[in-house]
Amino acid sequence: MGAVFAIGKDLVLRFRLGPISGALNPASLGTALGLSLLLLGLALWLRRGIPKDPEAPPSRRLLLLVVFLEFVEKQVLGGMPGKLRRSLLPLIATLFLFILACNLSAVIPVPGMVAPTQDLNVTLGLALFVYLLTHLYGIRSKGAFRHIRGYLEPIPVMLPMNLVGDMGRTLSHGFRLFGNILGGAIMVAVVLPVMVNLIVRVFMRLLGDFLGPALASPVILVVGTGAGLLLNGFFGIFSGTIQAVVFTLLAAAYIQVAAE
Amino acid sequence: MGPELVQGLRYLAAGICMGIGAIGPALGEGRIGASALESMARQPEMANTLLRNMIIADAIAETTGIYSLLVAIMILFVV
Repeated sequence: MGAVFAIGKDLVLRFRLGPISGALNPASLGTALGLSLLLLGLALWLRRGIPKDPEAPPSRRLLLLVVFLEFVEKQVLGGMPGKLRRSLLPLIATLFLFILACNLSAVIPVPGMVAPTQDLNVTLGLALFVYLLTHLYGIRSKGAFRHIRGYLEPIPVMLPMNLVGDMGRTLSHGFRLFGNILGGAIMVAVVLPVMVNLIVRVFMRLLGDFLGPALASPVILVVGTGAGLLLNGFFGIFSGTIQAVVFTLLAAAYIQVAAE
Repeated sequence: MGPELVQGLRYLAAGICMGIGAIGPALGEGRIGASALESMARQPEMANTLLRNMIIADAIAETTGIYSLLVAIMILFVV
């Protein structure tokens, strides 16, 4: 558990600009920037693979891109009208890739590196970004007057309820991603030492007499590594992918509700 | 009250918070999964749409569990 929170607490930079004082976490900021650069490089690499001549046979990178975008369009933006779907597709695909990269970076054991989505500031920032987009799409499709009048539906007395509902929706959107990823990281950090400790004791007792310590320690190493892979695979890769899909699905659903 | 007692009560509170808070999402997600599977068995051609809606409903049912996780973390590490 120390690892998860030590990074958050030790490395926070506190700064003061006149009356404003703030704090900055270089670990999550640096990881997020590095992942962004990585994704930018991936995008440029894929872009260069697209043939200039539209009649040319499709290259492998183009097909990879097509498969990915088709997956996002079918699975995430499935029930939308065609025009909105096309205008949302690049944004939603980018959001999905970024959150997926952030979640999957939790399984890479580099010291000092944390998944940026373990930081509440990152996830709340993404949720606020989606919240602003709902207003943008609402105003664009219905006009500012009708969009604002939507808050007085069904009766004007419901205005505070609608505002509170908006706030709760955005907060829970951000908290959901944060809580899931941080919870998974805590589970890995808490359960893995216990599991390894247990495995070492049990196997040393059972196998130490049977095989001798020289043969037992590689077995313990293999089993311990297997336990680590299992935990990281479930909480890091499986849960991280599901949460990335859920975040983008909900973002698309919120924008669709505002635009209709 | 000594500091050890306070620390112990804090662990107790976090455990109770997480344990009771996990009941609701568990029941809700179980119901959602059960009815989604039932509908998928009845109409396999709807499986894709149902899976998508099931994940959204799961995520919303999970919200209160996430809130209790946050409260437990705050009790343990922040307050």
